[in-house]
Amino acid sequence: MPRLRIDQHEIDVPPGTTVLAAARQLGIDIPTLCYLEGYPASTSCLVCVVKLARNDRFVPSCATLAEDGMEVHSETPEVHQMRRTALELLLSDHLGDCLAPCWFGCPAHMDIPLMLRQIAAEDFRGAIATVKSEIALPAVLGRICPAPCENVCRRADVDQPVAICLLKRFVADVDLASGSAYTPPQAPDTGKHVAIVGGGPTGLAAAYYLAQQGHKCTIFEQSDRLGGRLWQDVATGRLPAEVLQAEIATLLLPGIAVRLAVRIGPDEATVHPQIEASGEASGLPGRLAEELPAAECAANGLSMPGNSLCLAALRRQFDAVLIACGAAAREYAAGWGLQTGANAVAVARGEFTTNLPGVFAAGCAARGKAIAIRSAADGRQVAVAIGQYLARGERESGYVSHTPDTSETSHSPHSATGPHPNKVSHSQKAVGNAAKLPSTFTTRIGKMDKNELALLMSDASPAPRAEPSSGLGAGYSPTEAIQQARRCLHCDCRALGSCKLRKYSIIYNAQPRHFAGQRRPFERYTDHPEVVFEPGKCIACGLCIEIAKADGERIGLTFVGRGFDIRVAAPLNKSLAEALRKAAAKCVSACPTGALAWKYPQPGESRPQS
Amino acid sequence: MRQLDISFVDQTVERLGRGRQMVIPILQAIQEHYRWLPPEALERVCQLTEITPADITSVSTFYTQFRHRPVGQYVVSICQGTACHVKGAGLVHEALQRRLRIAEGADTDPQGLFTLETVACLGCCTLAPVIQIDGVTYGRVNPTKIDRIIADFLRRRRRAARQPQRQPKPVGAAVGEIRVGLGSCCQAQGSAQVHEEILRVLERTGAPATVKPVGCVGMCHNTPLVEIVAIGPSTAERVVRSGNSDGRRETAQPQRCSTQAGQQSDMRLFTKVRPEDVPQIVLEHFRPRGLVRRLSYRLSQWLDRLYSDRPESDESGKPVTLRDPPVCAFLGPQLRIATEYCGQLEPTDLDEYRRHGGFAALSRAVRELSPEQIINEISRSGLRGRGGAGFPTGVKWATVRAAQGAPKYIICNGDEGDPGAFMDRMLLESFPYRVIEGMAIAARAVGAEEGMLYIRAEYPLAVQRITEALRRCQQEGLLGKRILGTDFCLQLSVVQGAGAFVCGEETALIASVEGRCGMPRLRPPFPAQQGLWDKPTLVNNVQTFALVPWIIRNGAERFAAVGTATSKGTKVFALAGKVQRGGLIEVPMGITLRQIVEQIGGGVAGGRKLKAVQVGGPSGGCVPAELADTPVDFEALTSVGAIMGSGGLIVLDDSDCMVDVARYFLRFTQNQSCGKCTLCRVGTRRMLEMLDRIASGQGQAKELDQLEQLARAVSAGSICGLGRTAPNPVLSTLKYFREEYQAHLEGRCPAKKCKALISYYVTTDCIGCTLCAQHCPVGAIPMTPYVRHRIDDDQCTRCDTCRQVCPREAIVIRSPRSDGHE
Repeated sequence: MPRLRIDQHEIDVPPGTTVLAAARQLGIDIPTLCYLEGYPASTSCLVCVVKLARNDRFVPSCATLAEDGMEVHSETPEVHQMRRTALELLLSDHLGDCLAPCWFGCPAHMDIPLMLRQIAAEDFRGAIATVKSEIALPAVLGRICPAPCENVCRRADVDQPVAICLLKRFVADVDLASGSAYTPPQAPDTGKHVAIVGGGPTGLAAAYYLAQQGHKCTIFEQSDRLGGRLWQDVATGRLPAEVLQAEIATLLLPGIAVRLAVRIGPDEATVHPQIEASGEASGLPGRLAEELPAAECAANGLSMPGNSLCLAALRRQFDAVLIACGAAAREYAAGWGLQTGANAVAVARGEFTTNLPGVFAAGCAARGKAIAIRSAADGRQVAVAIGQYLARGERESGYVSHTPDTSETSHSPHSATGPHPNKVSHSQKAVGNAAKLPSTFTTRIGKMDKNELALLMSDASPAPRAEPSSGLGAGYSPTEAIQQARRCLHCDCRALGSCKLRKYSIIYNAQPRHFAGQRRPFERYTDHPEVVFEPGKCIACGLCIEIAKADGERIGLTFVGRGFDIRVAAPLNKSLAEALRKAAAKCVSACPTGALAWKYPQPGESRPQS
Repeated sequence: MRQLDISFVDQTVERLGRGRQMVIPILQAIQEHYRWLPPEALERVCQLTEITPADITSVSTFYTQFRHRPVGQYVVSICQGTACHVKGAGLVHEALQRRLRIAEGADTDPQGLFTLETVACLGCCTLAPVIQIDGVTYGRVNPTKIDRIIADFLRRRRRAARQPQRQPKPVGAAVGEIRVGLGSCCQAQGSAQVHEEILRVLERTGAPATVKPVGCVGMCHNTPLVEIVAIGPSTAERVVRSGNSDGRRETAQPQRCSTQAGQQSDMRLFTKVRPEDVPQIVLEHFRPRGLVRRLSYRLSQWLDRLYSDRPESDESGKPVTLRDPPVCAFLGPQLRIATEYCGQLEPTDLDEYRRHGGFAALSRAVRELSPEQIINEISRSGLRGRGGAGFPTGVKWATVRAAQGAPKYIICNGDEGDPGAFMDRMLLESFPYRVIEGMAIAARAVGAEEGMLYIRAEYPLAVQRITEALRRCQQEGLLGKRILGTDFCLQLSVVQGAGAFVCGEETALIASVEGRCGMPRLRPPFPAQQGLWDKPTLVNNVQTFALVPWIIRNGAERFAAVGTATSKGTKVFALAGKVQRGGLIEVPMGITLRQIVEQIGGGVAGGRKLKAVQVGGPSGGCVPAELADTPVDFEALTSVGAIMGSGGLIVLDDSDCMVDVARYFLRFTQNQSCGKCTLCRVGTRRMLEMLDRIASGQGQAKELDQLEQLARAVSAGSICGLGRTAPNPVLSTLKYFREEYQAHLEGRCPAKKCKALISYYVTTDCIGCTLCAQHCPVGAIPMTPYVRHRIDDDQCTRCDTCRQVCPREAIVIRSPRSDGHE
């Protein structure tokens, strides 16, 4: 039995074992893109390289057999750098948007293309889950949002943008009208309790997503009803009150308590008498806000009704406090001891932390001014930040110590002292429902020329953008919605959740633009009924070729050309549909990137950008 | 489109077989027939054979030999070899595109007459730049010659119906032999026409001489070469023997060229012979018999001269004796082992080869030595692989012998793809029996009974001669069953490459023989353990095999006595570039680069200064002039950032831009990358793009470091030799010529080569002769008689034509770019 040493670990393996398999037995998860168990190692991607001490050579671990006395370096800065170089070279020739332009346009970063594909596939239930995973109030926002996503929609380069906002509203309206509105899964109670000051879009969204993480929340709302500034849109007639009320009702998950007409005054000062929060008071139909039982209030050390409430008290009594009371927060800030910036409470960018430990601010409270979708998006994001804070227990306070965008570099396997890259990814996932890889990682196509747009169009309905036939007030009919959703060009990557190139690029902190190179032309093949093929995303690993051959495809796939211009294609100019008659599913699931992907969302497919 | 007659495909499959491994030969046959690969022919192959659509598509698009578009009536191949590159192949390419009016992005002219294609290397480096039109090679091409070349080619076509001449029977006994070098480069310089003319003259005059086409003489700078040897009673002896006073047989020592040359006083060598020089050369040496014949010949000659006004050239057709100082210097330091009897043997004459000691070594190997003794002999000789890496040959043979598995195979790697290298081609063309004998000895040693010679399809003459030599050996019992009456059997065949440099890598070569794309695989396992069809396989380079018979014949000690501590024997180099005398040379290991350049090569041509010697082609590096005393030795060359390589030696002078040279080599390897592994496939492309930016003055300061880092990564992480060595030209020039890179970042090309950073300028020496204006292909020079010309910098394509035609050297190149208007 060969005995080899990988980093500091020794292991005996049967003859014929690869270094990769030996490392995996040791729990060292060497990244691989082109390797698939059961198929010959193609030694193409070279992301699995390790270094042999014997001759100082880098070798692909997937095809290097373990030998007795072999000494292998795997998790060293030098090896990580080599893996990063391989990833960056692959990225430099990887033509595709991981995330569509609309993803960046939407302040809430909703997975718009996925929603559209779900609508197109008549999966409205799936669509509302997609929407609600980022946007708590889609029926409301579907009526009042200025739709920044549509401003950047690539379809506008062809004719007019997809009517994303109306479609989101359609999904939400269908859900509200269904009688059993979508309720997200909730994690078990964490025992943590968050005070949310303000019941507007930010506070409501924050409560909704915190509750999904298993944290209890109490919303303290100064007025006598939830909704905050959204009532202004009701007043202008853009937003029917019943829609607002119905949608708020779907947000109040178990574990969320609401106390209306409570004002959080300056520290240690007395505020005017309280009104106990109640469903009746907020005028909400259906299931109402859970009221905190008095006993629980006492247990939590929460001041009883009638007592004065101040921030200091909230901080003592809750595990975290979120200031989400809108622009007014600035007026109270001094009394609460919060530092302010130009026109709002000062927070660390992207972190929502204030100068007080455990106190967060988001929405207009932290921005001064923001459109409603921005406030709602803040609510979603601050919930993640608070969740991370609660998960970590104590966290150093404040914006002073935080530097923006540290999230990316801190995961770098480059830092020798840093944790194992794969462990980092687990800790990222440990945040639960709010799991978020450093989410903005994307490769970008950039500007596309006419021919390329035409190729994109091959996957879309050529119909023009149409208003709802029964008027804007009524919204789209299901048929209209499906038709409209099919106008999407699918700029995003359909394999976002399964792409190993993206996964390891994030873990290894590989920069897509490190090696600037000439961009290859965009190509997309859509003739196959189920599968889309985008050669620009192909890393030429050849797995699909091997699989098609092993599965006895008559035509199958093949490499065409050689060197830098090598491409995978159906041979003899056959179509993809002819090439993959039976092996399509296997090929898609083996494809390490989104080069071969399902046209329509698959059950259980995860998209970890959201 | 007309219906294609597909029956040829059926016949081809019938002839070649239906196995998967036949895909390349079948495609080659189809392309030879149809001149391209029509899709319906490929479909038909799939119907008839085990070859799948995937196989045929991948293979036919992997190898550059195969065309998927119909071509013009004639194919113009432009050599992209190193020597051609440094001597202006790019300008020739552009000039051809202009002359043939080939549109941007197209490869064929509008009339469908000519198709332009580039080839990695035609192996005629000493005649650079070289183009080949349908097999007719033109050397020393420049943009101003294009019109004449095209016209010449078309004229030849019209006369093409002429039958090749047969050897005329001399009247009476021949008193002499006329040897004509018919290696590929000699032919490129017109030696075939000279040969034809000699035959014609002999026929018409009845001069008492025989004509003998011989292999490469090595003096490529002087081709076409004609040698006249008198045949007296002892001539045959004299050719064989050195004439050393102690009377030792020549074969007992490596041939010292000069001694041999000096003694053969009745042998005359004519250099740069043109067909019109032939009558005089022949008639001077061989008086035609019979007065009438002589007179009638004289008369026709007189008439010929009357009607032609060929300009007399003062340098052509001059006789030189081998004692002439330049010839002596060229041949002096050389030592012939692999190229023994260079220029004396008719390549495919088996009897002659045997008279010169041929197959004596094989006879000894099969009759007197055990396989272990052969391996021992080779090990003791210190022979290391001549393909480039220098792996000890004896160790390799022993590994194959010891490896489990049967049958075992032997492969001769003749896929010489390095631009600027043509040693293997020359050995295969000139000494086919020697290579075969070496292989047979090796096969005996390792226990192989089947093997093949893998030869580039770009070397048709080599393929033809080896095929002929194999046939003769088979006839004579030197190959096949019961060789030389013993129980040793060996079957050898020729496999033709299809245009993929990477197939020089042994695992890629094996993949190619098996009918797959030439993609290397990770080693280990080595071919010695798992090679062709997963059986133990010995792969050695042509030159390695060519050295083996000598070692077996003369003993390991004699071989080991030549060379350095770790590098024994001799090495054959193709010496080319900016050197006075280029050619094919064989030198003892340990000789310094400076000796090669200065003594053999006569120093840098044109009075310029030696800047560097590029050793080892695209896998090698540039050794700067100050390190020219580096000896030819595997370790010494590696220590200065080059490699021994397969034997290309390109001399660079101060007019060569090192960034451009590095970019040239990298473009070559990048283009030849098989595309399998990320670091080579994408890494070399990104490196090339950086070099492109640097060469065009667009580079950024940080890019030099980034380039170096990436080069190191590609070198450390690629899975095969191609990728691992591809960065060498970049790394070595960055090491020794970093300031030149720096200059490019500042917008200057010190050698004035990089087009984006130079401009052409007319000095006050201009007399307004309008020659430049007449020749400018893009009209960038207004016609201004008697007035100093001006060049419109925006229109100028930097084709260099004006500078070449200017009689007053009034056109100069400036860098950094000036506006061109003053």
